Amino acid sequence: MRTLAYLLREAWANLRTNRTTTMVAILTTAFTLACIGIFLLLYVNLRAAAGWLQEDIKIMVYLDDQLAGDALANVERQLRADRAVAAMHFISKEQALGEFKAQFPSESHLLEGLGQNPLPASFVVTLSPPFRSPDAVKRWSERVQRLSGVAKVDYNQDWIDALAMVIRSIELVAIGIGLVLSAAAVTIIANTIRLTLFARRDEIAILRLIGATTSFIRIPYLLEGAVLGMLGSTLSLLMLKFLYELFRQQMRTTGRLSGLDALVAFFPWSLCLALVAVGMALGCAGSFVSLRRFHEAKP
Amino acid sequence: MIQLIRVSKHYDRRPALSNVTLEIDKGEFVLLMGASGAGKSTLLRLLIGAERPDDGQVFVYGKNVTTLKQSEIPYLRRKVGTVFQDFRLLKKKSVFDNVALPLLVQGAAPADIRRKVTEALRAVGVEHKRDQLPVGLSTGEQQRVCIARAIVNGPVVLLADEPTGNLDPQLTEEIIELFKLINARGTTVVVATHDPLVMAQVNRRVMTLAQGALMPEPGALA
Repeated sequence: MRTLAYLLREAWANLRTNRTTTMVAILTTAFTLACIGIFLLLYVNLRAAAGWLQEDIKIMVYLDDQLAGDALANVERQLRADRAVAAMHFISKEQALGEFKAQFPSESHLLEGLGQNPLPASFVVTLSPPFRSPDAVKRWSERVQRLSGVAKVDYNQDWIDALAMVIRSIELVAIGIGLVLSAAAVTIIANTIRLTLFARRDEIAILRLIGATTSFIRIPYLLEGAVLGMLGSTLSLLMLKFLYELFRQQMRTTGRLSGLDALVAFFPWSLCLALVAVGMALGCAGSFVSLRRFHEAKP
Repeated sequence: MIQLIRVSKHYDRRPALSNVTLEIDKGEFVLLMGASGAGKSTLLRLLIGAERPDDGQVFVYGKNVTTLKQSEIPYLRRKVGTVFQDFRLLKKKSVFDNVALPLLVQGAAPADIRRKVTEALRAVGVEHKRDQLPVGLSTGEQQRVCIARAIVNGPVVLLADEPTGNLDPQLTEEIIELFKLINARGTTVVVATHDPLVMAQVNRRVMTLAQGALMPEPGALA
Protein backbone atom coordinates (compact mmCIF):
# COMPACT_ATOMS: atom_id res chain seq x y z
CA MET A 1 0.00 0.00 0.00
CA ARG A 2 2.80 2.41 1.01
CA THR A 3 4.77 1.37 -2.04
CA LEU A 4 1.70 1.91 -4.23
CA ALA A 5 1.22 5.40 -2.78
CA TYR A 6 4.85 6.15 -3.57
CA LEU A 7 4.50 4.79 -7.12
CA LEU A 8 1.36 6.88 -7.68
CA ARG A 9 3.17 9.99 -6.43
CA GLU A 10 6.04 9.21 -8.79
CA ALA A 11 3.67 8.79 -11.76
CA TRP A 12 2.00 12.09 -10.94
CA ALA A 13 5.39 13.78 -10.50
CA ASN A 14 6.46 12.43 -13.92
CA LEU A 15 3.37 13.94 -15.54
CA ARG A 16 3.85 17.29 -13.80
CA THR A 17 7.57 17.47 -14.48
CA ASN A 18 7.10 16.92 -18.22
CA ARG A 19 4.07 19.17 -18.55
CA THR A 20 4.54 20.15 -22.19
CA THR A 21 5.19 16.59 -23.35
CA THR A 22 2.24 15.44 -21.26
CA MET A 23 -0.10 18.03 -22.80
CA VAL A 24 1.03 17.20 -26.33
CA ALA A 25 0.55 13.50 -25.66
CA ILE A 26 -2.92 14.01 -24.19
CA LEU A 27 -4.00 16.21 -27.11
CA THR A 28 -2.65 13.92 -29.83
CA THR A 29 -4.11 10.90 -28.08
CA ALA A 30 -7.43 12.73 -27.75
CA PHE A 31 -7.51 13.57 -31.47
CA THR A 32 -6.60 10.00 -32.41
CA LEU A 33 -9.21 8.54 -30.09
CA ALA A 34 -11.74 11.11 -31.34
CA CYS A 35 -11.15 9.77 -34.87
CA ILE A 36 -11.84 6.27 -33.54
CA GLY A 37 -14.88 7.71 -31.76
CA ILE A 38 -16.27 9.27 -34.94
CA PHE A 39 -16.11 5.92 -36.70
CA LEU A 40 -17.56 4.22 -33.66
CA LEU A 41 -20.44 6.72 -33.61
CA LEU A 42 -21.03 6.10 -37.31
CA TYR A 43 -20.88 2.39 -36.69
CA VAL A 44 -23.28 2.52 -33.72
CA ASN A 45 -25.78 4.60 -35.69
CA LEU A 46 -25.47 2.63 -38.92
CA ARG A 47 -25.81 -0.58 -36.94
CA ALA A 48 -28.96 0.81 -35.33
CA ALA A 49 -30.29 1.82 -38.76
CA ALA A 50 -29.55 -1.68 -40.06
CA GLY A 51 -31.41 -3.02 -37.04
CA TRP A 52 -34.47 -0.97 -37.94
CA LEU A 53 -34.29 -2.27 -41.50
CA GLN A 54 -34.06 -5.81 -40.16
CA GLU A 55 -37.26 -5.19 -38.20
CA ASP A 56 -38.95 -4.57 -41.53
CA ILE A 57 -38.14 -8.07 -42.70
CA LYS A 58 -41.47 -9.90 -42.73
CA ILE A 59 -41.79 -13.62 -43.24
CA MET A 60 -45.00 -14.82 -44.84
CA VAL A 61 -46.29 -18.16 -43.53
CA TYR A 62 -48.94 -19.20 -46.08
CA LEU A 63 -51.52 -21.67 -44.85
CA ASP A 64 -53.25 -24.56 -46.58
CA ASP A 65 -56.25 -23.33 -48.53
CA GLN A 66 -59.03 -24.78 -46.43
CA LEU A 67 -57.32 -24.51 -43.05
CA ALA A 68 -59.76 -23.35 -40.36
CA GLY A 69 -60.94 -23.97 -36.82
CA ASP A 70 -58.69 -26.08 -34.57
CA ALA A 71 -56.09 -26.69 -37.27
CA LEU A 72 -55.64 -22.95 -37.80
CA ALA A 73 -55.54 -22.32 -34.05
CA ASN A 74 -52.94 -25.07 -33.72
CA VAL A 75 -50.60 -23.41 -36.23
CA GLU A 76 -51.10 -20.04 -34.55
CA ARG A 77 -50.39 -21.53 -31.10
CA GLN A 78 -47.18 -23.15 -32.32
CA LEU A 79 -45.96 -19.93 -33.91
CA ARG A 80 -46.78 -17.83 -30.86
CA ALA A 81 -44.92 -20.31 -28.62
CA ASP A 82 -41.83 -20.05 -30.83
CA ARG A 83 -39.12 -17.97 -29.08
CA ALA A 84 -37.81 -16.81 -32.47
CA VAL A 85 -41.09 -15.02 -33.18
CA ALA A 86 -41.11 -11.41 -31.99
CA ALA A 87 -44.46 -10.41 -33.51
CA MET A 88 -47.07 -11.86 -35.83
CA HIS A 89 -50.47 -11.13 -37.21
CA PHE A 90 -53.03 -13.04 -39.25
CA ILE A 91 -54.19 -12.15 -42.77
CA SER A 92 -57.33 -13.97 -43.85
CA LYS A 93 -58.08 -14.94 -47.46
CA GLU A 94 -60.52 -12.01 -47.68
CA GLN A 95 -57.99 -9.54 -46.29
CA ALA A 96 -55.38 -10.83 -48.75
CA LEU A 97 -57.78 -10.31 -51.62
CA GLY A 98 -58.66 -6.83 -50.40
CA GLU A 99 -54.97 -5.91 -50.13
CA PHE A 100 -54.31 -7.27 -53.61
CA LYS A 101 -57.10 -5.22 -55.07
CA ALA A 102 -55.92 -2.13 -53.23
CA GLN A 103 -52.33 -2.57 -54.44
CA PHE A 104 -53.10 -3.65 -58.01
CA PRO A 105 -56.51 -2.17 -58.95
CA SER A 106 -55.92 -2.60 -62.68
CA GLU A 107 -55.19 -6.34 -62.26
CA SER A 108 -58.15 -7.19 -59.98
CA HIS A 109 -60.31 -8.41 -62.89
CA LEU A 110 -57.86 -11.32 -63.33
CA LEU A 111 -58.91 -12.78 -59.97
CA GLU A 112 -62.60 -12.15 -60.57
CA GLY A 113 -62.42 -14.40 -63.64
CA LEU A 114 -61.36 -17.35 -61.44
CA GLY A 115 -64.69 -17.41 -59.60
CA GLN A 116 -63.21 -18.12 -56.16
CA ASN A 117 -60.53 -16.35 -54.11
CA PRO A 118 -57.19 -18.06 -54.94
CA LEU A 119 -55.13 -16.14 -52.34
CA PRO A 120 -54.22 -18.13 -49.20
CA ALA A 121 -54.57 -17.00 -45.62
CA SER A 122 -51.25 -16.30 -43.93
CA PHE A 123 -49.40 -15.25 -40.80
CA VAL A 124 -47.00 -12.32 -41.16
CA VAL A 125 -44.09 -12.96 -38.80
CA THR A 126 -41.32 -10.67 -37.51
CA LEU A 127 -38.41 -12.58 -36.01
CA SER A 128 -36.61 -11.46 -32.85
CA PRO A 129 -33.09 -9.95 -33.36
CA PRO A 130 -30.99 -13.07 -32.65
CA PHE A 131 -32.88 -14.93 -35.39
CA ARG A 132 -32.52 -12.37 -38.18
CA SER A 133 -29.28 -13.58 -39.75
CA PRO A 134 -29.66 -15.21 -43.20
CA ASP A 135 -28.85 -18.69 -41.82
CA ALA A 136 -31.20 -18.36 -38.86
CA VAL A 137 -34.06 -17.14 -41.07
CA LYS A 138 -33.45 -20.04 -43.45
CA ARG A 139 -33.37 -22.62 -40.64
CA TRP A 140 -36.53 -21.18 -39.06
CA SER A 141 -38.38 -21.14 -42.39
CA GLU A 142 -37.45 -24.73 -43.14
CA ARG A 143 -38.68 -25.79 -39.70
CA VAL A 144 -42.00 -23.94 -39.99
CA GLN A 145 -42.48 -25.21 -43.52
CA ARG A 146 -42.77 -28.71 -42.04
CA LEU A 147 -45.65 -27.76 -39.70
CA SER A 148 -48.98 -29.34 -40.52
CA GLY A 149 -51.29 -26.79 -42.17
CA VAL A 150 -48.43 -24.62 -43.52
CA ALA A 151 -48.37 -24.51 -47.30
CA LYS A 152 -45.33 -22.34 -47.86
CA VAL A 153 -42.96 -19.98 -46.05
CA ASP A 154 -41.82 -17.02 -48.09
CA TYR A 155 -39.41 -14.14 -47.44
CA ASN A 156 -37.07 -11.91 -49.37
CA GLN A 157 -33.84 -13.91 -49.21
CA ASP A 158 -31.89 -11.41 -51.35
CA TRP A 159 -32.83 -8.49 -49.12
CA ILE A 160 -31.79 -10.36 -45.96
CA ASP A 161 -28.49 -11.41 -47.54
CA ALA A 162 -27.75 -7.88 -48.74
CA LEU A 163 -28.54 -6.38 -45.36
CA ALA A 164 -26.37 -8.93 -43.57
CA MET A 165 -23.52 -8.12 -45.94
CA VAL A 166 -23.88 -4.39 -45.31
CA ILE A 167 -23.77 -4.95 -41.55
CA ARG A 168 -20.73 -7.24 -41.88
CA SER A 169 -18.97 -4.66 -44.06
CA ILE A 170 -19.67 -1.88 -41.56
CA GLU A 171 -18.29 -4.06 -38.78
CA LEU A 172 -15.15 -4.96 -40.75
CA VAL A 173 -14.44 -1.35 -41.69
CA ALA A 174 -15.04 -0.23 -38.09
CA ILE A 175 -12.71 -2.93 -36.73
CA GLY A 176 -10.03 -2.12 -39.34
CA ILE A 177 -10.10 1.63 -38.69
CA GLY A 178 -10.30 1.04 -34.94
CA LEU A 179 -7.21 -1.19 -35.01
CA VAL A 180 -5.15 1.23 -37.12
CA LEU A 181 -6.06 4.25 -34.98
CA SER A 182 -5.55 2.28 -31.76
CA ALA A 183 -2.06 1.41 -32.94
CA ALA A 184 -1.50 5.13 -33.60
CA ALA A 185 -2.63 5.99 -30.05
CA VAL A 186 -0.32 3.32 -28.60
CA THR A 187 2.59 4.71 -30.64
CA ILE A 188 1.94 8.28 -29.50
CA ILE A 189 1.85 7.30 -25.84
CA ALA A 190 4.83 4.97 -26.30
CA ASN A 191 6.87 7.87 -27.69
CA THR A 192 5.91 10.12 -24.79
CA ILE A 193 6.90 7.51 -22.26
CA ARG A 194 10.10 6.85 -24.19
CA LEU A 195 11.05 10.52 -23.86
CA THR A 196 10.39 10.34 -20.11
CA LEU A 197 12.40 7.16 -19.79
CA PHE A 198 15.29 8.68 -21.69
CA ALA A 199 15.22 11.82 -19.54
CA ARG A 200 15.23 9.69 -16.39
CA ARG A 201 17.64 6.94 -17.41
CA ASP A 202 20.21 7.97 -14.78
CA GLU A 203 17.53 7.94 -12.11
CA ILE A 204 16.45 4.48 -13.23
CA ALA A 205 20.06 3.30 -13.03
CA ILE A 206 20.25 4.61 -9.44
CA LEU A 207 17.03 2.83 -8.53
CA ARG A 208 18.46 -0.39 -9.94
CA LEU A 209 21.60 0.14 -7.90
CA ILE A 210 19.79 0.40 -4.60
CA GLY A 211 17.81 -2.77 -5.17
CA ALA A 212 14.59 -1.65 -6.87
CA THR A 213 12.83 -4.48 -8.64
CA THR A 214 11.80 -4.23 -12.28
CA SER A 215 8.14 -3.82 -11.35
CA PHE A 216 8.95 -1.04 -8.85
CA ILE A 217 10.71 0.84 -11.66
CA ARG A 218 8.08 0.12 -14.31
CA ILE A 219 4.82 0.68 -12.44
CA PRO A 220 5.04 4.53 -12.36
CA TYR A 221 5.50 4.56 -16.12
CA LEU A 222 2.61 2.16 -16.68
CA LEU A 223 0.44 4.35 -14.43
CA GLU A 224 1.64 7.40 -16.35
CA GLY A 225 0.58 5.76 -19.61
CA ALA A 226 -2.79 4.83 -18.12
CA VAL A 227 -3.37 8.41 -16.94
CA LEU A 228 -2.38 9.78 -20.37
CA GLY A 229 -4.77 7.33 -22.03
CA MET A 230 -7.57 8.15 -19.59
CA LEU A 231 -7.21 11.92 -19.99
CA GLY A 232 -6.87 11.54 -23.77
CA SER A 233 -9.98 9.38 -24.07
CA THR A 234 -12.03 11.65 -21.77
CA LEU A 235 -11.02 14.68 -23.80
CA SER A 236 -11.85 12.85 -27.02
CA LEU A 237 -15.35 12.05 -25.69
CA LEU A 238 -15.88 15.71 -24.81
CA MET A 239 -14.76 16.70 -28.31
CA LEU A 240 -17.09 14.11 -29.85
CA LYS A 241 -20.03 15.24 -27.72
CA PHE A 242 -19.42 18.81 -28.86
CA LEU A 243 -19.25 17.76 -32.52
CA TYR A 244 -22.34 15.59 -32.08
CA GLU A 245 -24.39 18.44 -30.62
CA LEU A 246 -23.13 20.75 -33.37
CA PHE A 247 -24.18 18.18 -36.00
CA ARG A 248 -27.65 17.79 -34.48
CA GLN A 249 -28.04 21.55 -34.31
CA GLN A 250 -27.12 21.79 -38.01
CA MET A 251 -29.62 19.04 -38.89
CA ARG A 252 -32.37 20.78 -36.98
CA THR A 253 -31.78 24.06 -38.76
CA THR A 254 -31.54 22.38 -42.18
CA GLY A 255 -35.18 22.01 -43.14
CA ARG A 256 -35.00 18.82 -45.21
CA LEU A 257 -33.14 16.80 -42.58
CA SER A 258 -35.09 18.00 -39.55
CA GLY A 259 -36.48 15.06 -37.61
CA LEU A 260 -33.50 12.90 -38.51
CA ASP A 261 -31.55 14.44 -35.63
CA ALA A 262 -33.75 12.58 -33.16
CA LEU A 263 -32.65 9.27 -34.70
CA VAL A 264 -28.91 9.95 -34.38
CA ALA A 265 -27.72 8.82 -30.96
CA PHE A 266 -24.57 9.48 -28.89
CA PHE A 267 -22.80 6.71 -26.98
CA PRO A 268 -24.64 5.43 -23.92
CA TRP A 269 -22.89 5.99 -20.57
CA SER A 270 -21.72 2.40 -20.41
CA LEU A 271 -19.94 2.74 -23.75
CA CYS A 272 -18.42 6.09 -22.69
CA LEU A 273 -16.94 4.39 -19.61
CA ALA A 274 -15.77 1.48 -21.74
CA LEU A 275 -14.03 3.94 -24.10
CA VAL A 276 -12.23 5.59 -21.16
CA ALA A 277 -11.16 2.11 -20.02
CA VAL A 278 -9.95 1.36 -23.56
CA GLY A 279 -7.98 4.64 -23.49
CA MET A 280 -6.33 3.57 -20.23
CA ALA A 281 -5.53 0.15 -21.65
CA LEU A 282 -4.00 1.71 -24.78
CA GLY A 283 -1.95 4.03 -22.54
CA CYS A 284 -0.66 1.08 -20.52
CA ALA A 285 0.13 -0.75 -23.76
CA GLY A 286 2.08 2.30 -25.00
CA SER A 287 4.13 2.39 -21.79
CA PHE A 288 4.67 -1.32 -21.94
CA VAL A 289 6.00 -1.09 -25.51
CA SER A 290 8.45 1.64 -24.48
CA LEU A 291 9.58 -0.19 -21.36
CA ARG A 292 10.21 -3.33 -23.38
CA ARG A 293 12.33 -1.43 -25.88
CA PHE A 294 14.08 0.77 -23.34
CA HIS A 295 17.72 -0.11 -22.76
CA GLU A 296 18.55 1.02 -19.31
CA ALA A 297 21.84 2.69 -18.53
CA LYS A 298 23.80 0.14 -16.54
CA PRO A 299 24.19 0.99 -12.87
CA MET B 1 31.74 -12.76 2.69
CA ILE B 2 33.19 -12.14 -0.80
CA GLN B 3 34.87 -14.73 -2.94
CA LEU B 4 36.05 -14.64 -6.54
CA ILE B 5 37.30 -17.85 -8.11
CA ARG B 6 39.28 -17.60 -11.37
CA VAL B 7 37.19 -14.72 -12.63
CA SER B 8 37.81 -13.24 -16.06
CA LYS B 9 35.96 -10.50 -17.87
CA HIS B 10 36.56 -9.02 -21.31
CA TYR B 11 35.20 -5.96 -23.07
CA ASP B 12 35.53 -6.25 -26.86
CA ARG B 13 38.23 -8.90 -26.43
CA ARG B 14 40.20 -6.52 -24.19
CA PRO B 15 40.74 -8.15 -20.80
CA ALA B 16 39.31 -6.16 -17.89
CA LEU B 17 39.92 -8.92 -15.35
CA SER B 18 42.13 -11.97 -15.86
CA ASN B 19 41.84 -15.07 -13.75
CA VAL B 20 41.25 -13.21 -10.49
CA THR B 21 40.89 -15.25 -7.32
CA LEU B 22 40.37 -13.52 -3.99
CA GLU B 23 38.58 -13.84 -0.68
CA ILE B 24 37.42 -11.14 1.72
CA ASP B 25 36.18 -12.12 5.17
CA LYS B 26 33.25 -10.72 7.11
CA GLY B 27 34.13 -7.44 8.81
CA GLU B 28 37.30 -6.80 6.80
CA PHE B 29 38.30 -3.39 5.43
CA VAL B 30 40.03 -3.88 2.09
CA LEU B 31 41.55 -1.35 -0.24
CA LEU B 32 41.47 -2.28 -3.90
CA MET B 33 44.29 -0.31 -5.48
CA GLY B 34 45.23 0.14 -9.10
CA ALA B 35 45.60 2.68 -11.86
CA SER B 36 42.67 3.74 -14.03
CA GLY B 37 41.62 0.85 -16.23
CA ALA B 38 43.19 -1.76 -13.92
CA GLY B 39 39.81 -3.48 -13.46
CA LYS B 40 38.74 -2.13 -10.04
CA SER B 41 35.32 -0.87 -11.18
CA THR B 42 34.70 -4.05 -13.17
CA LEU B 43 35.38 -6.10 -10.06
CA LEU B 44 32.94 -4.03 -7.99
CA ARG B 45 30.30 -4.25 -10.75
CA LEU B 46 30.66 -8.03 -10.73
CA LEU B 47 29.96 -8.03 -7.00
CA ILE B 48 26.57 -6.28 -7.43
CA GLY B 49 25.56 -8.29 -10.48
CA ALA B 50 25.82 -5.32 -12.87
CA GLU B 51 28.14 -7.45 -15.00
CA ARG B 52 28.52 -11.19 -15.46
CA PRO B 53 31.99 -12.74 -15.66
CA ASP B 54 33.05 -14.51 -18.84
CA ASP B 55 34.67 -17.18 -16.68
CA GLY B 56 34.78 -18.06 -13.01
CA GLN B 57 32.48 -17.71 -10.03
CA VAL B 58 31.56 -14.75 -7.85
CA PHE B 59 30.11 -15.26 -4.36
CA VAL B 60 28.73 -12.50 -2.15
CA TYR B 61 27.16 -13.18 1.25
CA GLY B 62 26.80 -16.84 0.35
CA LYS B 63 25.08 -16.17 -2.99
CA ASN B 64 26.60 -17.21 -6.29
CA VAL B 65 26.15 -13.95 -8.19
CA THR B 66 27.19 -15.65 -11.43
CA THR B 67 24.11 -17.86 -11.43
CA LEU B 68 21.61 -15.47 -9.81
CA LYS B 69 18.51 -14.84 -11.89
CA GLN B 70 17.98 -11.26 -13.04
CA SER B 71 14.94 -11.06 -10.77
CA GLU B 72 17.09 -11.99 -7.73
CA ILE B 73 19.73 -9.30 -8.31
CA PRO B 74 17.71 -6.49 -6.59
CA TYR B 75 17.58 -8.55 -3.39
CA LEU B 76 21.37 -8.99 -3.47
CA ARG B 77 21.82 -5.23 -3.93
CA ARG B 78 19.73 -4.57 -0.84
CA LYS B 79 22.50 -6.32 1.13
CA VAL B 80 25.30 -4.43 -0.59
CA GLY B 81 25.65 -0.66 -0.21
CA THR B 82 27.43 1.20 -3.01
CA VAL B 83 29.19 4.56 -3.03
CA PHE B 84 30.37 6.24 -6.21
CA GLN B 85 32.80 8.96 -7.16
CA ASP B 86 30.00 10.96 -8.83
CA PHE B 87 27.58 10.39 -5.89
CA ARG B 88 24.62 9.51 -8.14
CA LEU B 89 22.00 11.35 -6.12
CA LEU B 90 18.54 12.20 -7.47
CA LYS B 91 18.76 15.91 -8.19
CA LYS B 92 15.06 16.63 -7.71
CA LYS B 93 14.72 14.87 -4.39
CA SER B 94 15.75 16.19 -1.00
CA VAL B 95 18.62 14.72 0.97
CA PHE B 96 16.07 12.90 3.16
CA ASP B 97 14.24 11.42 0.17
CA ASN B 98 17.49 10.33 -1.47
CA VAL B 99 18.58 8.48 1.63
CA ALA B 100 15.09 7.03 2.13
CA LEU B 101 15.03 5.50 -1.35
CA PRO B 102 16.59 2.08 -0.51
CA LEU B 103 14.04 1.69 2.29
CA LEU B 104 11.16 2.77 0.06
CA VAL B 105 11.96 0.19 -2.60
CA GLN B 106 11.76 -2.46 0.13
CA GLY B 107 8.37 -1.20 1.29
CA ALA B 108 9.54 -0.09 4.76
CA ALA B 109 7.05 1.60 7.11
CA PRO B 110 7.14 5.43 7.24
CA ALA B 111 8.12 5.45 10.92
CA ASP B 112 11.00 3.05 10.20
CA ILE B 113 12.08 5.18 7.26
CA ARG B 114 12.10 8.35 9.36
CA ARG B 115 14.10 6.69 12.14
CA LYS B 116 16.65 4.94 9.94
CA VAL B 117 17.20 7.90 7.61
CA THR B 118 17.72 10.21 10.59
CA GLU B 119 20.22 7.76 12.08
CA ALA B 120 22.11 7.43 8.79
CA LEU B 121 22.22 11.18 8.23
CA ARG B 122 23.43 11.68 11.81
CA ALA B 123 26.11 9.01 11.34
CA VAL B 124 27.59 10.82 8.35
CA GLY B 125 27.11 14.30 9.85
CA VAL B 126 24.60 15.88 7.45
CA GLU B 127 21.41 15.61 9.48
CA HIS B 128 20.97 19.40 9.36
CA LYS B 129 20.86 19.25 5.52
CA ARG B 130 17.97 16.77 5.35
CA ASP B 131 15.53 19.08 3.52
CA GLN B 132 18.00 20.49 1.00
CA LEU B 133 18.39 19.40 -2.60
CA PRO B 134 21.74 17.79 -3.51
CA VAL B 135 22.61 20.70 -5.78
CA GLY B 136 22.85 23.00 -2.74
CA LEU B 137 25.43 20.79 -1.02
CA SER B 138 29.22 20.80 -1.20
CA THR B 139 30.95 17.82 -2.83
CA GLY B 140 31.95 16.46 0.56
CA GLU B 141 28.37 16.72 1.79
CA GLN B 142 27.05 15.04 -1.35
CA GLN B 143 29.45 12.16 -0.78
CA ARG B 144 28.27 11.88 2.83
CA VAL B 145 24.67 11.73 1.62
CA CYS B 146 25.68 9.03 -0.85
CA ILE B 147 27.29 7.07 2.01
CA ALA B 148 24.18 7.57 4.17
CA ARG B 149 22.06 6.11 1.35
CA ALA B 150 24.45 3.15 1.09
CA ILE B 151 24.28 2.30 4.81
CA VAL B 152 20.67 3.22 5.62
CA ASN B 153 19.33 -0.32 5.34
CA GLY B 154 22.25 -1.89 7.22
CA PRO B 155 24.12 -3.61 4.38
CA VAL B 156 26.51 -6.46 5.10
CA VAL B 157 28.97 -5.13 2.54
CA LEU B 158 29.81 -1.56 1.55
CA LEU B 159 31.48 -1.08 -1.83
CA ALA B 160 32.99 2.28 -2.72
CA ASP B 161 34.34 3.08 -6.18
CA GLU B 162 36.80 5.96 -6.06
CA PRO B 163 34.78 7.62 -3.29
CA THR B 164 37.38 10.36 -2.78
CA GLY B 165 38.10 11.02 -6.46
CA ASN B 166 36.35 14.39 -6.38
CA LEU B 167 37.45 15.43 -2.89
CA ASP B 168 40.37 17.44 -1.54
CA PRO B 169 42.79 15.80 0.97
CA GLN B 170 40.93 17.18 4.00
CA LEU B 171 37.56 15.81 2.80
CA THR B 172 39.23 12.56 1.74
CA GLU B 173 40.43 12.07 5.28
CA GLU B 174 36.95 12.73 6.68
CA ILE B 175 35.29 10.27 4.29
CA ILE B 176 37.86 7.55 5.01
CA GLU B 177 37.27 8.03 8.73
CA LEU B 178 33.57 7.53 8.05
CA PHE B 179 34.29 4.23 6.27
CA LYS B 180 36.41 3.13 9.24
CA LEU B 181 33.51 3.89 11.57
CA ILE B 182 31.09 1.93 9.41
CA ASN B 183 33.57 -0.96 9.29
CA ALA B 184 33.97 -0.81 13.07
CA ARG B 185 30.22 -1.53 13.35
CA GLY B 186 30.77 -4.84 11.54
CA THR B 187 30.16 -3.97 7.90
CA THR B 188 32.64 -5.37 5.40
CA VAL B 189 34.09 -2.43 3.46
CA VAL B 190 35.80 -2.56 0.07
CA VAL B 191 37.17 0.73 -1.24
CA ALA B 192 38.49 0.88 -4.79
CA THR B 193 40.93 3.76 -5.26
CA HIS B 194 44.05 4.85 -7.08
CA ASP B 195 44.83 7.48 -4.45
CA PRO B 196 48.03 6.63 -2.43
CA LEU B 197 46.83 9.11 0.24
CA VAL B 198 43.93 6.82 1.01
CA MET B 199 46.26 3.83 1.34
CA ALA B 200 48.48 5.75 3.73
CA GLN B 201 45.47 6.73 5.82
CA VAL B 202 43.72 3.40 5.95
CA ASN B 203 46.65 1.10 6.70
CA ARG B 204 44.61 -2.07 6.20
CA ARG B 205 44.69 -5.01 3.78
CA VAL B 206 45.52 -3.88 0.25
CA MET B 207 44.79 -5.74 -2.97
CA THR B 208 46.35 -4.39 -6.13
CA LEU B 209 45.07 -4.85 -9.64
CA ALA B 210 47.26 -4.21 -12.66
CA GLN B 211 45.87 -4.63 -16.18
CA GLY B 212 43.12 -6.86 -14.87
CA ALA B 213 45.38 -9.17 -12.91
CA LEU B 214 45.58 -9.36 -9.13
CA MET B 215 49.09 -8.76 -7.80
CA PRO B 216 50.39 -10.89 -4.93
CA GLU B 217 49.70 -9.24 -1.59
CA PRO B 218 52.73 -8.11 0.42
CA GLY B 219 53.81 -10.94 2.70
CA ALA B 220 51.85 -13.56 0.77
CA LEU B 221 53.61 -16.72 -0.33
CA ALA B 222 54.50 -16.74 -4.01
